[in-house]
Amino acid sequence: MKKTLYILLVFLFLGGCVTTPERQSVAKDEHKEKFTKHYKSSMFKVTEKGLYSVELVLKSGELKKGANEVNLIIHDNKDRDVVDAEITIQPWMPEMGHGIDIEPVIEEKGGGLYHVSNLVLTMGGHWELRVGITKAGVSDMAVFDFPRVGGMKMKHRHVKRPDKIDISTVQVSENRTYKVSYIPEITPVRINTIHSWTVKITDSKGNPVTGARIAVEADMPEHGHGLPTAPEVVEELPGGEYIIDGMKFQMPGWWVVKLHISSPVGKDTVTFQLDISR
Amino acid sequence: MKKVYISILCTLLMHVWVASSWAGESSLHKWSQKEIEILKGLHMGSLPPLRKDPSNRYDQVPEAIALGRKFFFENRFSGNKKVSCATCHPENMNFADNLPLAHGMGTTSRRTMPLQGVAYSPWLFWDGRKDSTWSQALGPIESPVEHGFTRTQIAVVVIRFYSDEYEKVFGPLPEIDIDKLPLQAKPSPDEPGPLKAWVTLPEETREAINRIYVNVGKAIGAFVRTIMPTPSRFDRYVQAIIDGDVKQAESILNENEVRGLRLFIGKAKCINCHNGPMLTDYDFHAIGVPDAEGLPPDNGRAEGIPKVLNDEFNCLSPYSDAKPRQCRTLRFMSTDVVKYRRAFKTPTLRNVAERPPYMHAGQFATLHDVLHFYRDMPEEKRPPDLAHGNLTDDELVYLEEFLKTLSAPLEYFKE
Repeated sequence: MKKTLYILLVFLFLGGCVTTPERQSVAKDEHKEKFTKHYKSSMFKVTEKGLYSVELVLKSGELKKGANEVNLIIHDNKDRDVVDAEITIQPWMPEMGHGIDIEPVIEEKGGGLYHVSNLVLTMGGHWELRVGITKAGVSDMAVFDFPRVGGMKMKHRHVKRPDKIDISTVQVSENRTYKVSYIPEITPVRINTIHSWTVKITDSKGNPVTGARIAVEADMPEHGHGLPTAPEVVEELPGGEYIIDGMKFQMPGWWVVKLHISSPVGKDTVTFQLDISR
Repeated sequence: MKKVYISILCTLLMHVWVASSWAGESSLHKWSQKEIEILKGLHMGSLPPLRKDPSNRYDQVPEAIALGRKFFFENRFSGNKKVSCATCHPENMNFADNLPLAHGMGTTSRRTMPLQGVAYSPWLFWDGRKDSTWSQALGPIESPVEHGFTRTQIAVVVIRFYSDEYEKVFGPLPEIDIDKLPLQAKPSPDEPGPLKAWVTLPEETREAINRIYVNVGKAIGAFVRTIMPTPSRFDRYVQAIIDGDVKQAESILNENEVRGLRLFIGKAKCINCHNGPMLTDYDFHAIGVPDAEGLPPDNGRAEGIPKVLNDEFNCLSPYSDAKPRQCRTLRFMSTDVVKYRRAFKTPTLRNVAERPPYMHAGQFATLHDVLHFYRDMPEEKRPPDLAHGNLTDDELVYLEEFLKTLSAPLEYFKE
């Protein structure tokens, strides 16, 4: 009896082991072990030859189109401050194969800190910052990657879908200025089909709102992308109704559509959610 | 007594464990209601009935389709009398040449796009620089590396060899003295000679030539819109699942193919972009495919946006038969050139296994290479839509097996 129990337990234990192979393959980064990250909010890179670590702190929190200011903190592989090094920083667009001609200003502040100003990015898009370090005739380089500079809204990236989604087509705006409802041209709303919405807006007393301007913003919070189209109001109908044309959803799932409404009654935003199955 | 309970409990636990690990095999063909909804969305049965192209009044006119088919195979529509649409879209190869870069009079910088189901596509070409099949057909004719021809020469060939058939569909040909026409005349900003010859022609002549040229495009476009996929093994499998006939389903796809399908709609998230019955969202995505060797960087859709807005033959042009309100695709197009820099159209996956190499310039020789590219992309370069989980080598094999189930012969107007 006891024996059976033991065998069973061993079996269950083995089963448990077999189902978690991921645990055994934790990636090791040999370089990183020699270096220390000193600043919480910095981006950390070890140079290509493994001679230095570079910490990059963006003054405005993110890299933007226009002039940027950056602090670089450089340590060697024994965690000593790197002073008197010759530092270069080159913004580079890898897909476009070009950088910029505007020279950034680099100032050594001591203790391994180098301040970079006038770091100008001429356009939004995918940029790299290539930091070169030369000391005692030996050069090394670290590349920081910024896949999306400017132009892209990052705020919703990877928001997890809530358990319950309010898919009601009637909603009150954030500050309770408007009550808004919509009727899509096609029901149910299907993916990859361009269609219009008839939107009805009333004020808090139920009176129709005329002469409103509506800006449409749609987003898939789980994926961080918007619509493939740019919908707009094409017609105002009597009774506070508006036709928004050019709606098109290119993926099944949870969509959030915001209508930013401004009229003599006030400025407010109403949010609709959709769960598109196919 | 206690011991007996523990033993019973353990036996039960073990049964649960064994059952749950083995159930994977027998329940491979069991799909949840939510999964069946997804499968229905990919199934050919959800392809909506084809609507007429409002910009082409000859679309679905049998005589126009028949004439379009002739034009499609017409070698005289080229500078060396050897190139037709079928050169890059050969009929015996599902209308795709399977070369890394299309080759007409010269070599282009992109690969030939598939034609099946193109009638459903709001945008044409990898960068969507055209918004109808008829205006698409007119692009390659005047490209020096494709047909190497001019619209003026098209008018001459039509008047000489097709006048009866043309007039039956489009009405009387305009009076043009073809012997006096400069043949190398077209509004091409890159070719000063032909451009000068074109702009010095009288306006009525230019208009008459354009009308013939556009009608040739409309006939070809009408024919191309008949090229459709037929149900593949995948569609038959989904039909069996919808019908609740698991036995039938098991006989259609093998276990690895079904494992691939589960990954396709699940962990690998392929349906983020390859969705709907044509397995494309018809949008453009920058997925970070490297440029082809020896070619300059390609900005894709970012350059297609101004091109289609400026296109002399777009939906809002005087040559289109659509009313402006019918040109929704063009009017409400996103013009976000930052978002669409280096973005290319999601191609259909129907018949994908039949047409290597892959990507807009044939950068990858095999499906194996494509799947490895998606998996091995560095995390920091991965757009949110391309999060694929940690796919194993075996899982990539299953996905490839599944992709092969999407092949089926094409259906199109033959005679």
